[in-house]
Amino acid sequence: MFTTPRLVLIALCAALNVAVGSIVYLLKLPIYLDSVGIILCALLLASDRWAGFACASVAGTISCVIIFLLVNPFFIWFELTVIAIALVSVLLTARFADTLRARPLPNAKFAAIVLICGIVTGVVSAIVSAPVVAYLFGGVTGSGSAFVVAFFLKTGQQLLNATLLSGLTADPIDKVLQVLFAALLYRATPGDFIAMLAAREATSATSAAR
Amino acid sequence: MTPNGAALFVIVMLIGALAASGPLGFSLLYAVLVAFALVEVRAGTTTALTRSAVIVLPLAAFMAAVWIGFVGRSPAEIAAGASGTRAAAAAYVLTVCLRLFLIVAAIQLVLLRFVHLTPLQFICALRLPVTAKRLLALTLSLTETLRQAVDRARTALIAAGVITRRMSLRNLVHGWVLVQTVWLSAITIAVGRMRDKWPIEGTLGRLDDLFQRARTPSLAPGDAVWLSLGVGAALFGLGIG
Repeated sequence: MFTTPRLVLIALCAALNVAVGSIVYLLKLPIYLDSVGIILCALLLASDRWAGFACASVAGTISCVIIFLLVNPFFIWFELTVIAIALVSVLLTARFADTLRARPLPNAKFAAIVLICGIVTGVVSAIVSAPVVAYLFGGVTGSGSAFVVAFFLKTGQQLLNATLLSGLTADPIDKVLQVLFAALLYRATPGDFIAMLAAREATSATSAAR
Repeated sequence: MTPNGAALFVIVMLIGALAASGPLGFSLLYAVLVAFALVEVRAGTTTALTRSAVIVLPLAAFMAAVWIGFVGRSPAEIAAGASGTRAAAAAYVLTVCLRLFLIVAAIQLVLLRFVHLTPLQFICALRLPVTAKRLLALTLSLTETLRQAVDRARTALIAAGVITRRMSLRNLVHGWVLVQTVWLSAITIAVGRMRDKWPIEGTLGRLDDLFQRARTPSLAPGDAVWLSLGVGAALFGLGIG
């Protein structure tokens, strides 16, 4: 399952998550953009769904640990969210891999897929994250979405409700953007790299030796 | 101390920091951390504490602004439906910040404890499956590759007049082009390595051989001392001790 090209992909996707996620975290924007690599990994391994899930989860976990160690001490507690995003990406977004890569770009279809997949991923992510944010951190983590939680608390909402409402407000927008970025990077990725990812170990070793 | 012991020590401190709620729990955990710093890290302690402060202080300021400045109540008061006070909100922010600082400082101290080892030596010493070690080594190697890809892509786009060297609106508009260019550069470099460089140099074979030959002890006697102290302090934090 973990062939050399796939290990390379995991490392690249983890690095992508860390780079973009850290910048957004430090800017305190009410979005995250820390899962683009997970969604991209699932798309690039759309031909082998379980390998896609395993690689996307590992990429997400590595980025989770790196961001936790270097930038955001809250981040490690969202490991379950990482797994949930990997699962939704593999089961839903990766199903449309061919359409997302079609040339010429089917504009309306592309936009509809990005919107639907982003919203579903966002809702799942918000539901999984809400108890962690509410019970572990009392509703406020270091990200910009804390302002949204604070706003809902100010309107008289209870803690769990406020975090859930904040998640359901910010996460779908954030995940639509993330699916869009992942889809655009997926379209830009060279076909021979995708072929290397799809090949089993013996084949990839042969092509590597050539 | 071994890298395995250090990794376990960080996990114990992390759980302890999360479990601690009262002053006694925090005091004990901080006492263990100070002892660890004085015995194991010594000269690097100041650097570790400075780095931890750089990570936690902006976060503390942000949380203070949101909780004390905007919400004005602690989560417990919100849950109880009480009107709440800013003092309770401040106490809550202080508790969270003490937790975060403990976690971040433990990580920084452990990183500095093994600063004499190269990342590859550190990975070799960990008790992990070979695939996991290979993945960690490749991630570290490709992080450097990505840095190079960023430099190359940035230089090329500046030369082409797509982005500018300093902050500008053009950079904001064309930022996405930079991300795509970096991704493509990284993929191209990685494919080149997998097809040509690594097979010629036998890099992956050598790496696996190195990981399989590594004979390092899982835990040293010193690890047991720190782990016992950490677990003891964490149990007091939980109220078991």
